[in-house]
Amino acid sequence: MCVGLSAKVVKISEGTAVVDAGGAKRKVSAQLLEDLEPGDYVMVHAGVAIAKITDEDDDETDQLMEELL
Amino acid sequence: MGEEKKRTAREIIENYDGPAVRIMEVCGTHTHEIFRLGIRKLLPPQVELISGPGCPVCVTPVGFIDEAVWLALEKNVTICTFGDLVRVPGTKMSLAGAREKGAKIRIVYSPADAEKYALEHLEEQVVFLSVGFETTTPAECLSVKQAKKDELSNYSLLMANKAMPQAYEALKGSADVFLYPGHVNAITGTELCEHLTEEGVSGVVAGFTAKELLTALAVSLVKFQEGKPFFVNCYPRVVKPEGSREAQQLTEEMTEACDSEWRGLGVIPRSGVCLKKEWSDFDARKKYNIPPIQGKANPACRCGDVLQGKCKPSDCKVFGKVCTPQHPVGACMVSNEGACSAYYAYGDNTSATRG
Amino acid sequence: MSSLKDKTVTMAHGAGGRQTSELIDQIFAAHFANPDLTADDAAVLTPPAGKMAVSTDGFIVSPAFFPGGNIGKLSICGTVNDLACMGAKPLYLTCAFVIEEGFPMEKLEEIASAMEKTAAEAGVHIVSGDTKVAGKGQVDGVFITTTGMGQIEDGVKVGGTLAQPGDAIIVTGDVGRHGCTILLAREDFGIEADVTSDCAPLWKTVEAVMNTTHDLHVIRDATRGGVGTVLYEIAGQSNVGIRLDAASVPVAPEVRGVCGMLGLEPLYLACEGRMVIMAPKDEAEKIVETLRQCPYSKDAAIIGEVTADQPGKVVMTTEIGTQALLPQPGGELLPRIC
Repeated sequence: MCVGLSAKVVKISEGTAVVDAGGAKRKVSAQLLEDLEPGDYVMVHAGVAIAKITDEDDDETDQLMEELL
Repeated sequence: MGEEKKRTAREIIENYDGPAVRIMEVCGTHTHEIFRLGIRKLLPPQVELISGPGCPVCVTPVGFIDEAVWLALEKNVTICTFGDLVRVPGTKMSLAGAREKGAKIRIVYSPADAEKYALEHLEEQVVFLSVGFETTTPAECLSVKQAKKDELSNYSLLMANKAMPQAYEALKGSADVFLYPGHVNAITGTELCEHLTEEGVSGVVAGFTAKELLTALAVSLVKFQEGKPFFVNCYPRVVKPEGSREAQQLTEEMTEACDSEWRGLGVIPRSGVCLKKEWSDFDARKKYNIPPIQGKANPACRCGDVLQGKCKPSDCKVFGKVCTPQHPVGACMVSNEGACSAYYAYGDNTSATRG
Repeated sequence: MSSLKDKTVTMAHGAGGRQTSELIDQIFAAHFANPDLTADDAAVLTPPAGKMAVSTDGFIVSPAFFPGGNIGKLSICGTVNDLACMGAKPLYLTCAFVIEEGFPMEKLEEIASAMEKTAAEAGVHIVSGDTKVAGKGQVDGVFITTTGMGQIEDGVKVGGTLAQPGDAIIVTGDVGRHGCTILLAREDFGIEADVTSDCAPLWKTVEAVMNTTHDLHVIRDATRGGVGTVLYEIAGQSNVGIRLDAASVPVAPEVRGVCGMLGLEPLYLACEGRMVIMAPKDEAEKIVETLRQCPYSKDAAIIGEVTADQPGKVVMTTEIGTQALLPQPGGELLPRIC
């Protein structure tokens, strides 16, 4: 329903952030996220950073499986 | 249970020997990724995956395309749109067809880019085709806010935005477990999902990587066997229980609920999202007095049934014959996320029979 | 030569009179000079011994100048590579220009200069040409059509119908760079990435491979539609199945990043300097080794094999080890949001 892209914040200025995904850079809106800093990872959808995230899915899935079993 | 600790998500899925279960991936990106990763090949026969209505392009009714074509051809408006919508058939033609007749159709990456185009082309009237669920609506609202700030009178939205809660109501009976759309939940949080659990509706929020999808499915199967309604957030690295307050506030401030037509599901009361009165200068329907248009879908197309899980794409008479990604008859064949498109693209026999 | 600075192509340059001659002399003849280039109505050539390959291709690209090349370089590479795909050494080439009124002379010269350089590298002579000027807005800058003639080396028989089960599939470098470069150069999507086109003349590369082994079945350049389209074409033409190991397809991280942002599949982005080669498995390592010595194929890799089952289909081994069909190309590439 919504293609999301996880990307690293490389620059912040006045409500916008430049994000980097594998060397592809784009300016996106950072208006929905407070306190973003370069180095943070965000989920980007339709040119807007919608959530601050952790980049790797390993810990998350490991922990879920741990709790499940 | 000590032994079981070592089982991976994949082993749990492959060796599932519990009762038959229907899992609906609500989100079209899930449908797409599940096919792309070949996850259906891992499922035992009693696990059925149903592709739900979570593809904004697929649920957008024919009449919406007709409205956009009307704006482009009759009002000479420049249409800015996400690429997915360009080939969706309208009653008479798609936007690609209108482009052949001279309509100006621009594909953009984001609503902000459409607003920027309007700012740089003050001599043109620019309309952005605003589709999407809770995830996309904030981006579209932000573009309107920016347009107001830039004092633009040549930018507006043609809206077909939708919200999920009412759709869940409509879909309640069609699956045993929902794979909730992770990026919608990133905005809305998980309160509604937890509430649905109380009503006996089970589900998990799922992410989009191979690991995340396998984990979400494994969690679903293990919990389903326990027999009680459940909810698990399997995408905590992105989805927080409270969601995005900023996005929620923005949407609340600028939009209100309205009735909305879903292809296949019909009009669902209060399932749509439109701009509030104070923003009506940016509402293309009001601005251009778009006449009421009753779109007519091709009667042979069963997109509607497909979207509700009532039939598989391969059950539709035109599927793969008249209707192909090159010559789509219905929206589900156009969008990358559409169930028909996914079945056609990835549709070898094994995945089709298990669909 | 009088300076070309600030001069533009006018309708008079296409009218066939004095100004047409000037344009030809100053730009085309100056750059394309070789013993076979004719000023007459047709070039008179000595036919090569044995079989000939002939191929024609029209080039329109917007923008005409992009990182890694321009439409001139492209118009030589495209046709030379088509010849090379048949195992043919490029000999002669003709070119026809349709130029938009108002096109800057300096730019036209830059294009001609790129053609000169690329033709020299590929060892092909431009023997005949044509220039037309179209009114403003009737064409987008400049369109070029080139036709190439080449000599097929003795003992070489390659073609799209000749893939056989058991063949290894080799790609001569990372995929999708040209398509990605053009997408970025159009600046429609506000994305920046350090990507240059892979546009390159590949005859020398193919020659090196043919010097390594004559046991080759298919050579095809992956242009429009990318490597994915080539694989489906061959699967259909040869009525074979193709098993693709998704993880071994070389893709530059920047290309992957751009594709991620726009929801595109790198296998379907155009290349202009990449070949797909199918040859018996026993020859594959040798071929890849040879390719890696050549300047345009340092990243050559074996990406899959030809199978007897599932004829007409391209089956991918996914990152979790399952099999899934590579989705069929769906026409126009549309960046998607959902």
